[in-house]
Amino acid sequence: MAERNDDVTRRRLLRDGLWGACLAGVGGVVGFAAQKSRKTEWVWQIDPYKCIACGNCATYCVLEESAVKCMHVHAICGYCRICFGFFTPEPYALTEGAENQTCPTGAINRKFIEDPYYEYMIDESLCNGCGKCVKTCNAFGNGSLFLQVQHDRCVNCNQCAIAAACPAQAFTRVPADNPYILKTVDHA
Amino acid sequence: MIRRGHIFIGLLAVLVLSVAAHGLERFPPPEFETDYVRPTTVTPHPRQDVWEYIDTGVFVAALGLATYLVLRRRSRKGIFLLMLFSLVYFGFFRKGCICSIGAIQNVALTAFDPTYAIPITALIFFGLPLVFTLFFGRAFCGAVCPLGAIQDAVLISPVKVPRWLESVLRILAYLYLGAGVLFAATGCMFIICRYDPFVGFFRLGANWNLLVFGACLLLIGLFVGRPYCRFLCPYGVILRQLSRLSKWRVTITPTECIQCRLCEDACPFGAILKPTEQWPAKEYKIAKLRLAFLLVLLPVLIGAGGWAGYQLRGWLAQAHPQVRLAQRVYLEQNGQVEGTTDASDAFRATGRPSTELYAEASAIRDRFKVGGALFGAFIGLVIGGKLLGLSVKRRRTDYEADPASCLACGRCYSYCPKEHERLKLKKETVVAHG
Amino acid sequence: MTDTTQETPTTEMDVGGRTAATTAKVAGVFAVLFLALLAANFIGTSVLAPRRENRLTAMKVAIQGGEASEEQLAEIRELDLQIRRDRIWRLDFARKASYALLVSVVVFVVAGKLAGTLSKQPPRPQHAPDVGAEQIREARQSRWSVTAGLGVLAAAVVLLVMQEAPSAFVEAKEAKPLFASMQEKSEQWHRFRGPGGGGVSVFSNIPTQWDGQTGQGILWKTPVPIIGHNSPVVWKDRVFLSGADPNQRLVFCFDATSGQLLWTGDVPTTPAVTEADLDVMEDTGYSASTTATDGVRIYAIFVTGDIAAFDFNGRRLWHKNLGVPDSAYGYASSLETYQDRVIVQFDQGDGSEGKSRLYALDGATGRVVWESKRPETPNSWTSPILVDVEGQLQIVTVTDPWVFANDPADGKEIWKVECVSGDVAPSPIYAGGLIMAIEPYSQMVAIKPTGQGNVTETHIAWRMEEGAPDICCPAGNDKHIFLLEGSGYLMCFDVTNGEMVYEHDLRDNFMASPSIAAGKLYLLSEEGVMYIAGLGPEYEEIAKCELHEKCHASPAFVDGRIYIRGYEHLYCIGQTAAAADEKTAN
Repeated sequence: MAERNDDVTRRRLLRDGLWGACLAGVGGVVGFAAQKSRKTEWVWQIDPYKCIACGNCATYCVLEESAVKCMHVHAICGYCRICFGFFTPEPYALTEGAENQTCPTGAINRKFIEDPYYEYMIDESLCNGCGKCVKTCNAFGNGSLFLQVQHDRCVNCNQCAIAAACPAQAFTRVPADNPYILKTVDHA
Repeated sequence: MIRRGHIFIGLLAVLVLSVAAHGLERFPPPEFETDYVRPTTVTPHPRQDVWEYIDTGVFVAALGLATYLVLRRRSRKGIFLLMLFSLVYFGFFRKGCICSIGAIQNVALTAFDPTYAIPITALIFFGLPLVFTLFFGRAFCGAVCPLGAIQDAVLISPVKVPRWLESVLRILAYLYLGAGVLFAATGCMFIICRYDPFVGFFRLGANWNLLVFGACLLLIGLFVGRPYCRFLCPYGVILRQLSRLSKWRVTITPTECIQCRLCEDACPFGAILKPTEQWPAKEYKIAKLRLAFLLVLLPVLIGAGGWAGYQLRGWLAQAHPQVRLAQRVYLEQNGQVEGTTDASDAFRATGRPSTELYAEASAIRDRFKVGGALFGAFIGLVIGGKLLGLSVKRRRTDYEADPASCLACGRCYSYCPKEHERLKLKKETVVAHG
Repeated sequence: MTDTTQETPTTEMDVGGRTAATTAKVAGVFAVLFLALLAANFIGTSVLAPRRENRLTAMKVAIQGGEASEEQLAEIRELDLQIRRDRIWRLDFARKASYALLVSVVVFVVAGKLAGTLSKQPPRPQHAPDVGAEQIREARQSRWSVTAGLGVLAAAVVLLVMQEAPSAFVEAKEAKPLFASMQEKSEQWHRFRGPGGGGVSVFSNIPTQWDGQTGQGILWKTPVPIIGHNSPVVWKDRVFLSGADPNQRLVFCFDATSGQLLWTGDVPTTPAVTEADLDVMEDTGYSASTTATDGVRIYAIFVTGDIAAFDFNGRRLWHKNLGVPDSAYGYASSLETYQDRVIVQFDQGDGSEGKSRLYALDGATGRVVWESKRPETPNSWTSPILVDVEGQLQIVTVTDPWVFANDPADGKEIWKVECVSGDVAPSPIYAGGLIMAIEPYSQMVAIKPTGQGNVTETHIAWRMEEGAPDICCPAGNDKHIFLLEGSGYLMCFDVTNGEMVYEHDLRDNFMASPSIAAGKLYLLSEEGVMYIAGLGPEYEEIAKCELHEKCHASPAFVDGRIYIRGYEHLYCIGQTAAAADEKTAN
């Protein structure tokens, strides 16, 4: 009987010891991570200088309508009459007909300002994030059009599906209080 | 001859090629004569910080309430309702992200990536259920986890899974855990999130393959109780070990077990252990030998696993996009493959020398030497531990809920006659007082 | 709770259970229905929509460069609108169907659970089996299944370890870019006027007899889809040409043995070019520049400033526009290659704006490796040559008024000589250890290429001031230099001192530059007549072969064959392998 009690006590001790070790372990891991942690959430964003406008943003987002949309920084824009983002590389005519536009959803609006400058605005509700305008604007123009994750739409998955599929590895985590990486004038 | 007027346009189109051609304006931004003002770029904001606090608060409250309902109240109805609430709130409302299972990866990344710091919410989602489980058992699984909730919700007609099948299938969960931590720590990808089968339902949209996988799991879940929880969940296997050591645990009977056997088929998850019986003497001898053999085998398995993991470092490293890119660029450079991919085009556009890429990729691959070895050793330990656990005879006189497997769903309570006694007593007390 | 072991379900519970079961079944059917609808929608987005989009793209391409009717435009706009409407409708439908599916699944699950609960039987434990034996058996089975699992894992590991994981890059110390060596290039015709740009072939088995009318001596002749005055470039079993008109720029690849057109590559342009509406001289055409290859890729540049690279299978690797060159007669400089780079001489303007450049672009990506700014030099029509001067490689270019030599590795200037002026078109050559530069109508200057910096005063070996051609490049070996004027006036000079050796009037018109092959002089007239003469101290006609087609481009000479581009056809002069064997046997 005494032996069995000893057995039981020994087992009890072992178990308690293990329990204490586990608690310490969990506490240790959490503590270590906590001292490094920050209050703000991370969100996903595209680095426009790495992006190659491959078109994956429109198809890989888990949402039906991609959270990635094209943004326009007018300070960089050249306001060209022949906008390389607006018109196809070889437009039939310089009109706003569908056959001349690069954008498949007609999301870029063109407005005459003064000769020879035109203003180009993106209608976010129509943009699907395909990046066709970004590609041509970067190749032939100033690169003032670029793709960005829109954070009023993004669900902020722990693993962004587009990030995993981006061939240029242009996705990065940014703090939620400064969630956009906008292009600046004269980036060298 | 080119007319002068056209030269103007030609000049307008001259592209000044410089090394940093990517960002330098080719067409100088104009200065307007009219009083036109450039529009500013609208940058919509992410959801408020306040939701983080609400989420954390609800989470803590749910954990506390679940524990209370499981251990104190012992109310299946209560657990079920809380489970439904978790399903709706953490599942469909919060779209299943962030969850405790995925948070493992965030912790792994924090430990090994100096540029990443885990947000407090993720840390709480990771750590709190572990602490609760150490004290109270797997109440988290029972009523708080949305993935468990969706599986439990569809369970209509449970079928028993034979023990041997359970044992071997659970190895998958350990593999998932090891791989999840390894790939998260090395910065490849969060595979647990990527292949989460139920998040597609919570979001009402996902990759087709993932939706099919999730649907299959749920269809299986109609008959097999909580298949993901029992055989795939990487967080669950951590909870298993912690729950074994918990101070308080789920008991089928509120007071004492009378071995009436009415609860034998109560658990849809096979977590009820029967009282053990004496073995014939021969069995003990064999069992002792077997135990000794397995004890010696354990370090061998760990070593073999570590070695295997080390050998597989080349394959494991393929999970990292830089490694795949380096291989692709190398093949293209040496004419061993035709054409280019978007990724290799993007790399060449950066103008970096490929030797730099190879060096980076090699460094990443080197991390898999240790990572792979640890992963392999871990699996070796798991399998060795399993075999050992299956060779040890435990003494049990009562019907108990297996502390490791019990998911704290509360279904077994109503099968116990002692429970009914307690309820009747409670009702009588209420009537007497009222 | 009752204490009877046999529990008969009440009628209420039975009815309830049955209703629940029926509801579940109905909901299940609805769920399947919505799932099917969603699947159909998914197929629509992934299969039908792209097809429509491809059709739209095809329609857009069809109207490019031509006149499109109002109907065609209207059709395109209509289809575009349809695609967009369809997309939005599909998104909406998917959303609604998802919610409907969710609702029906929830109903199914709730009803199912109710049915399950209501029809639940109380537990009826059977006669207790031998629990001990059962436990032993379960434990044993589990041990074996785990061992089996271990076995499966081990097998997987072994399989993977046996197969080499893709990690070739690990050992890679030095990235090896692909390109042909100078030695390999010397046996091909990789650019305008062959290796070194001197129009000299190393082969001694070049034909001397053919007739365009009878077809005798002609291995094949293939029509070229677009006219262009650039010369054929030959690399092993392929012949390259380019051609362009105001609306398209194309690169052609022919099989060297059969003449079959293997592929046509398209080079796109920019809206600025379309708007510029270039008006080029007819004699120059839209693709006067000859292509060039480095043994791996073929590069082509056009009068619009569009340059592109293709691999030998016709896949376009990159293209860019260097800007529409401001060139009086139309841009005509041909390309050269150095290792895996393409060298572009981009002279333009009238000199005051300093827009002229010499570029080296990376062959694989088109990225500018280096550019050399030319000091206020105007447009020119010469082509660069890559020469080996006593072990040092130099790129020599002629503009007005400089002859430059640049280092092909980094573009830095090695030497320069101020000696020519005017609309320079004949390209320089390297013969007899000297660089020969031509000033049209006026003089030929021989320069010693061993200098550093501005060596105008010191490194001019001699000048020949008795007149020079305005278009044809010179040809020479280590004894003589041959100059051919467009009117047919042929002059031969001593390479060491520039003294005239002989002159002869061929009384025919020439646009193609003279070539030297197999110890003979080959001169191709505009009418397609090839005058084959000796290299001797006086003019000696060896043969005269007529092609009966007008020719503008210079021929290419490779291993027993001559490739000549006429206005309409590409000709291969040579014999079949069988005939050649017969000849040698005889």
